[in-house]
Amino acid sequence: MATRVETPGLRPVAFGRTGRIWLSLLGILVLWGLGAWIYQLTQGLVATGMRDVVSWGLYIFSFAFFVGLSAGGLIMASGAEVFGVKSLRPLASVGVLTAAACVLVAAMTIIPDLGKAQRLYEIFRYPNWSSPLVWDIVIIIVYFAFAVTDLAVMHRRRMAAPRRRRTLRVLAYVGLPAAVLLHSITAWIFGLQISRPWWNTALLAPLFVTSAILSGTALIALVALVANRFDRLELPRETWTALAGLMATAIAVDLFLVGSDYVTILWGNVPRERAALDIVLPGGSWQWLFWVEWVVGGLVPFVLLVTPRFRIRPALLALSSVLVMVGVYAFRIELVVGGMVKPLLHLPPGNAVGTYRLGQTSFQFDGIYHPTWVEYGIVTGLTAFLALLITVGYRWLRSVERAGAGA
Amino acid sequence: MAAETLTKRWGMVIDQDRCIGCWTCAVGCKEINNEPLGFWWNRILTAAPGETTGESSAAVADPASDSIDVPHGTFPEVDLAYLPVACQHCEDAPCVKVCPVGATFRRDDGTVLVDYERCIGCRYCIAACPYGIRVFNWGDAKQPVDFTVGYGRDYRTADGRLVFTPDRPRGVVEKCTFCVERIDSGEQPFCVEVCPVGARVFGDLNDPESEVAQLVDDGGATQLLPDLGTDPRVFYLPVQRERNV
Repeated sequence: MATRVETPGLRPVAFGRTGRIWLSLLGILVLWGLGAWIYQLTQGLVATGMRDVVSWGLYIFSFAFFVGLSAGGLIMASGAEVFGVKSLRPLASVGVLTAAACVLVAAMTIIPDLGKAQRLYEIFRYPNWSSPLVWDIVIIIVYFAFAVTDLAVMHRRRMAAPRRRRTLRVLAYVGLPAAVLLHSITAWIFGLQISRPWWNTALLAPLFVTSAILSGTALIALVALVANRFDRLELPRETWTALAGLMATAIAVDLFLVGSDYVTILWGNVPRERAALDIVLPGGSWQWLFWVEWVVGGLVPFVLLVTPRFRIRPALLALSSVLVMVGVYAFRIELVVGGMVKPLLHLPPGNAVGTYRLGQTSFQFDGIYHPTWVEYGIVTGLTAFLALLITVGYRWLRSVERAGAGA
Repeated sequence: MAAETLTKRWGMVIDQDRCIGCWTCAVGCKEINNEPLGFWWNRILTAAPGETTGESSAAVADPASDSIDVPHGTFPEVDLAYLPVACQHCEDAPCVKVCPVGATFRRDDGTVLVDYERCIGCRYCIAACPYGIRVFNWGDAKQPVDFTVGYGRDYRTADGRLVFTPDRPRGVVEKCTFCVERIDSGEQPFCVEVCPVGARVFGDLNDPESEVAQLVDDGGATQLLPDLGTDPRVFYLPVQRERNV
């Protein structure tokens, strides 16, 4: 066994200086995030920019975003098995690894958002089954366990090849509905709320599934590109075109769904619905979200991905992947903030803020939200931790695979 | 008959024709419930014309001004009405449905309460409440004075759940309790007691003889955002209404 790993040429590419710098950078950012969280624990959530009107912020955007990123893995694995897209097969194991990492980090992102994180166990002690949050925690645990099992089956050395194939096939068929449920339930946390007309649309679950496929594929493409550049991971041309095609399709469907929602609200012209839409449309106080979602993360990557000349260039594919993720993140912000800035009872003096500063009113008529360094710090730390998990996990996968290939 | 009256079903009626927008109920509420600075369980909204009761949430448009006490219309045709809003103690309360740990719960008498010892501070209830009445302990509570005012001590329900404490724990949600500690000992909620114009009536909706039940039955009583189907236990008597006198 041991001799196999030592066979020259099959050893993973040495991590080298770049790798060490990358890991140390991530390590520093993780520590920075940890420090910010400790600071927040000493102060309370008053250290964030959230208040009673916009009472969910960066943590919840990021939670929903990380959940979405996890979609990529299952698409690679089940795309190959269920839909027979062979060109995606080389990415199956990297995909499932990212899925496990993303869903784990998503679960971790909820913790700094809680006012009493030390009481988290109450969810298991007194679960209230009518709460979509409880459903979400259940599906997150199931999905994580599923991804880890899938990964274990892919890499168990003792398992005979035919049996492994069969098991992976079965897992792919289970995984697909599990993934759809994961994104739908995360959408329903928002979508079922009658108090927020902006969230309360049946389109939300399909939108979350689509944007998850979009951002998840972008993440896999990015990981594959980095691996190709630094680890000589060679992928057939069809794989790259499949990734580009999948992203382009997902952008189109995603913007179609968002656009349908806009048209429905604009034509109906119901004040409580227009109030939310108007703040993100051009001219509104959060209009930058519109441009980021439709142009920076929509039109630009779409053109890059459908033009044959552009999509085969690694740099442009990487750029598209990043832009797509930025666009999906903007959609998450648009959803949460848009739903909260204008309360349903929008009458003066507005809602109580929940904190007091001498000489300032303790009411907000329109919700105000500016994230603080603490929130940026914690989310940066969590993102760095995700990158760290993917890097280390990828190294492990490659070493296992190369050892297997040498057999 | 006797069986019906065994269970209380607390409700409140607010007469908008009497309300003068003086904020006495809001300040009284802050005082009796030891609400920290920046907290308002009870607010007096300046209502938009024709929207004095929020009959339909679809009609809630931006008001003429974001300041209180600004009348609507052009002189001499101006219109001004007040909408005092605290917890509506909904029959089908969205906050109770979304709380992942059951920290927000509805007692048999219809009072919606928060267990300070179970709340995990996820603020899902704040997102779910259509009335924007919940407040969160973002940091350490600051009291306006350093001596005890108001109720000033813990209160637990019969099954031992902490539903009021003057020493607010950081990171939990709170809201109007219908002054649970007072109604459990036969008193009126403090906002009802302090209202200088008698605009608030509180009582048992299950008792057809009670004033509150009669005011609701007399017709003209409306609920806030009724099209959402939350079925509040707080009713409003609009300024302009049919009167069976």
